[in-house]
Amino acid sequence: MYGGGYIFDKPLQDHKDDDDPVKLAEFEARIDRGEKVEPHDWMPFEYRRQLIRLIEQHAHSEIIGALPEGTWITRAPGFRRKLALAAKVQDEVGHAQLLYNAAETLGKSREEMINDLISGKSKYSNVFNYPAKTWADTAVIAWLIDAGAIVNQVTNSKGSYAPYCRALERICQEESFHLKYGYDAVVHLATGTPAQREVLQDALNRWWPPIMHFFGPPDNASVHGEKLMRWKVKMASNDDMRQQFLNMYVPKIWELELTLPDPNLRKNPETRRWEYTEPDWDEFKRVINGDGPCNKERLAVRRTAEERGKWVREALLRPETQYSVPLS
Amino acid sequence: MSTIKSLDPRVTRFNIEEDDQSMQPLERRDYFETYEVFHQAKRGGRHTHVGSVHAPSPEMAFLFAKEQYGRRSTSTSIWVVRTSDIHTVGDEHSDMWENVPEKQYREAGFYKVRSRIEQFKKRHNDS
Amino acid sequence: MTASNEALKSLLYATADDLLILGHRNSEWTGLGPLLEEDIAFSSMAQDQMGQSLALYEILQRDLGERDPDTIAFLRPESEYRCCHFVEYPIGSYAFSLMRHFLFDQASYLRFAALAESSFKPLAFVSRKLLGEIKYHIMHGNTWMAQLSRGGEESHARMQSALNEAFPMALGIFEKLEHEEELVDAGVYAGSAQLRDLWLQHIEPALAHGGLALPELNAQEAGTAFFGGRKGFHSEHLGSLIEEMGAVLRSDPSADW
Ligand SMILES: [Fe+2]
Ligand SMILES: [Fe+2]
Repeated sequence: MYGGGYIFDKPLQDHKDDDDPVKLAEFEARIDRGEKVEPHDWMPFEYRRQLIRLIEQHAHSEIIGALPEGTWITRAPGFRRKLALAAKVQDEVGHAQLLYNAAETLGKSREEMINDLISGKSKYSNVFNYPAKTWADTAVIAWLIDAGAIVNQVTNSKGSYAPYCRALERICQEESFHLKYGYDAVVHLATGTPAQREVLQDALNRWWPPIMHFFGPPDNASVHGEKLMRWKVKMASNDDMRQQFLNMYVPKIWELELTLPDPNLRKNPETRRWEYTEPDWDEFKRVINGDGPCNKERLAVRRTAEERGKWVREALLRPETQYSVPLS
Repeated sequence: MSTIKSLDPRVTRFNIEEDDQSMQPLERRDYFETYEVFHQAKRGGRHTHVGSVHAPSPEMAFLFAKEQYGRRSTSTSIWVVRTSDIHTVGDEHSDMWENVPEKQYREAGFYKVRSRIEQFKKRHNDS
Repeated sequence: MTASNEALKSLLYATADDLLILGHRNSEWTGLGPLLEEDIAFSSMAQDQMGQSLALYEILQRDLGERDPDTIAFLRPESEYRCCHFVEYPIGSYAFSLMRHFLFDQASYLRFAALAESSFKPLAFVSRKLLGEIKYHIMHGNTWMAQLSRGGEESHARMQSALNEAFPMALGIFEKLEHEEELVDAGVYAGSAQLRDLWLQHIEPALAHGGLALPELNAQEAGTAFFGGRKGFHSEHLGSLIEEMGAVLRSDPSADW
């Protein structure tokens, strides 16, 4: 899982465009023809830089995203849920592995990415800075956060960078299991006892704002954004993805006679777009910059896992090993 | 220094120090080298490239690859090979593949004799 | 002669509870492991162990009239669990968790290999099916053991001290079961002492390959220091884990989760 077009960085100030105009034209023609870009192909500096950021932050989101749900592995009710949740969280770790590898093909090592995650230099999806307080939270996460992730990932999988597309293809297959599992868990709570419905409704109320944040703030149409669209790095606007999500999932939520904490949420029959109260984008920025309920813990856990694993990795490392980068 | 009391009982038991900033940055070879993974889904099928793993040895690369790439659906075999042992040439040579599709004399579809036979039969019957 | 249901239950609960508890312990590493790839591998094995315990609880329900697997796995009082203390201890360092994984899965493989020949057919059938997946656990344990214990002085010392700690605990796997004579006489089970001897034959060469030596044990450690589990007496760690494992289920056992 993962989220957000918000991660795109401003272009380097005064970045000297050392990109050869002839090669740039060939590159753009290739993308216009719908061809994919492979790791050893020529690519513009800014294309490489933005992709590294995009894929790296996606990878971080997977590994950090394993934490709120991992919270409930030992407590999941019964074998069916326990095994499924363990497998789902394992998948998220697996997604991180696939995505770090994809980012590495662009020239940034896994070690550098992890350093940037732990130092706070590199971000991850905001939703994972919120706590999973009850079992119902995991059900809501597995259904709706993963649903958001699928909207995002299916969109990105049509992008131009081949290793990212290949990783996403595999990831999307696994996400569909996550989504089904999450929906199943939610439906069991929603159709269960009054107490089960109550914890579910409570979880939904708490997760709705982070879910609305998930796709990032409305994009302002910048020249920069247009270039990323033309290069097929960014495949859809944040708002379009949010609309797609609302369109697919709000009716399913309402069908279960659950409510959402936004009195203005409705689909406008004329524009066929969803209307809603803008979520608190100041909170979004605060949390992204470190001041959310779980930021500190998430990073501390990751840091500790790296530190405690250090002697293990050092013991395994063979002196003759060469640094290498995944092929594709 | 106090340890984190988390909603996650696992994390609480992991005894994580709250404000420890002493971690040294990882170095480039911390995660070993990479191996490419080839997966066979059923006996008699091909081994297909499915991705890569970081591993300190071929044996560990196999252990990792089996679970990362073979834990779903069916698998009958996995191969791993050091990425650095794979040789290829880069995109600057992509033009060497360009004319291949034009050499149709190497393809079955190039050989069409039916109309010639029909003409022959027609001539033969006419005479 | 055939074994009584009481005897069969004692064997099945001991075997299933070991796997259930260790599976839960090992699942705690998910997302916290020393490298991503190993995180995934270790999680798979934890899932395998929980799945193996489920297969045994299903026999208990289907063939021996016990309640459904979720109820018996998660809602029994502590004194009714028959797992050994070894699996109850917290995950500790990765050295300890790996050593436990190595020692336990070697025993688990031998136990299922013996049970595959059991005169109790449902158990023989399930045991045969599980051997393949445990083979991977063995390969994983052996490879890690060998590479870490030969990975320099510090790592070797960590592995040796993990072995010193884990080995006497591991002997608890082979505490005599309730009704054991009856199970052995009926050809259901090979017997705990026999399994222990076989296990020692298997682990010693693997440990020696890594330059590790079995610790000298005092009389108590070599005897019954970590015994009790098979009779329902547990370490201080089990109670809170059971509490945790069943926390949601217990909040409303009649509800559908
Ligand atoms: Fe997911
Ligand atoms: Fe994911």
